[in-house]
Amino acid sequence: MMHTFSRRRFLQLAGAASAVVVLPQTAAAAASTAARVVVVGGGFGGATVAKYLSIWGGGQVAVTLVDPNPSHIACILSNLVVTGALSMDRITLGYSALKGKPGVTVKQGLVTAIDYMRGAVSLGDGTTLPYDHLVLSPGIDFIPAPDGAWDPNLTPHAWQAGAQTLLLKQQLASMRDGDTFVMTVPKSPYRCPPGPYERACMVADYLKRKRLVFAKVVVLDANPGIQAEPLAFGEAFNFIYKGMIEYVPNATVLAVNSKSRSIDTTAGDWSGVRVLNYIPNQRAAAMGPADSPNRGWPVLNAQGFVPVDPLTYGISGYPNVHVIGDACAVPASEGKAVPKSGHMANAEAKVCADAILRTLNNQPLDQNITTNSACFSPITATTASWLSANFNYGDIYDGAGKVKGKGMHRVDLGEAPKTNGDNYRDMFTWAQGLFADSFV
Amino acid sequence: MQLKTISPRYLILCGLALASPHGAQAAPPPGQLLASQCAQCHGTNGNGPGFDEVAGKSASELLKDLLEMKRRPVEGIMDRQARGYTDAQIKLIADYLAAHSGVAAATTDH
Repeated sequence: MMHTFSRRRFLQLAGAASAVVVLPQTAAAAASTAARVVVVGGGFGGATVAKYLSIWGGGQVAVTLVDPNPSHIACILSNLVVTGALSMDRITLGYSALKGKPGVTVKQGLVTAIDYMRGAVSLGDGTTLPYDHLVLSPGIDFIPAPDGAWDPNLTPHAWQAGAQTLLLKQQLASMRDGDTFVMTVPKSPYRCPPGPYERACMVADYLKRKRLVFAKVVVLDANPGIQAEPLAFGEAFNFIYKGMIEYVPNATVLAVNSKSRSIDTTAGDWSGVRVLNYIPNQRAAAMGPADSPNRGWPVLNAQGFVPVDPLTYGISGYPNVHVIGDACAVPASEGKAVPKSGHMANAEAKVCADAILRTLNNQPLDQNITTNSACFSPITATTASWLSANFNYGDIYDGAGKVKGKGMHRVDLGEAPKTNGDNYRDMFTWAQGLFADSFV
Repeated sequence: MQLKTISPRYLILCGLALASPHGAQAAPPPGQLLASQCAQCHGTNGNGPGFDEVAGKSASELLKDLLEMKRRPVEGIMDRQARGYTDAQIKLIADYLAAHSGVAAATTDH
């Protein structure tokens, strides 16, 4: 609208002109000195570490982010896609902004092998990516039930968002009055502690709004009790959805048959249900073929996750190989585990990015670390709760209160004193912030 | 750096940094890593999108707000979050965000 040559426009042009002159030199210098970081997995952890290595590294680092998919579909808010409240595009996060960050390359591809000794990642298209630091953020794999015939294409878990989310949506929409929706809560630790309870609420709310008053939701929890926001979900199960949600604790899954939609557990058997939303137990996603030692990881703990150093997210014996997000096991105090979530993956990614840059620059690591988890869970179609947790680097304790080492000690935990409409609105602001801080 | 004179230790650190094969870079400002954990909800460097109460506030305003949240009865999620930090950590966060959000972001944000 301005007819005069504005100062802003002049600065833009001047900037562009100097960039043209300076770029070849800078690029040549960068090519010879830039440290190479390969990031495997473009979810919240991988995207955030790539972004912050770029921002904080000032172009010092050449980051290559590898993911098999052209975009990431967030699990966050995906229960609202299952009920039809949101469309898939609201949780589909592209990589175009990341591609525009200085030093960042995003490559669509499948990792076929990692040579931890020589420091190189091989991709399905024959490319080899040598690295100075490797960040693995692959998420989770499922541990199928010991017996039966489980087929997630028939009975979706919808615990990795995308086609699975849409399949569960279709199946929910097919429910008639008197039908039963059976779902499971995996044994902890699993991705998103409040997620399964949130899903039970969203499904029940959907059935209520469709006036399917005799439809039922059975929640088979492998754990002895509700794993997150016990106040909000306890109130939901006992009052808001009384008679509709049946909560069954201590239900260890023994067998699943997807064709007959049947499930056997230590707390009872259900068969021929309308929808079987079996969410299996979880472990770190494989980094190699199923028959390779440790499924391709240098080291795994008894639960199938990768133990990491809380200051760098490095693996013991491989300090330049870092694991963040749902796949890693952060040392923590007994009974106060660091949750597996997109928000926490973002938090860990920043600690990891900072540690990589300090290591490259021979600077001491920052030990003044707090990571946090903050999330909102819908309870009805108009109300939500929230969960907040903070973890501080320092001494961690065993069950008897004795110091057992260093790690991320949970210093605060709490949930919303009330579920209400303000929280429901805040949930979208929170998701928008988290999506942007990770992917934009 | 709050050093009034250049200490031998600082010179050694500089030397190490220069010797790095990947080129030297100044140490990150204090509070950067702590404050980055606010960004999930308040945007990168507090500049949104998200809850936009951070950008444009002074360090003393942020410090006062956060300490008040930490000490009042819990109502909103920030009352809880603030309890997860020591007062010294809150001070570092307030100083960093005041210097890197809002107007300051125009020159320092990437």
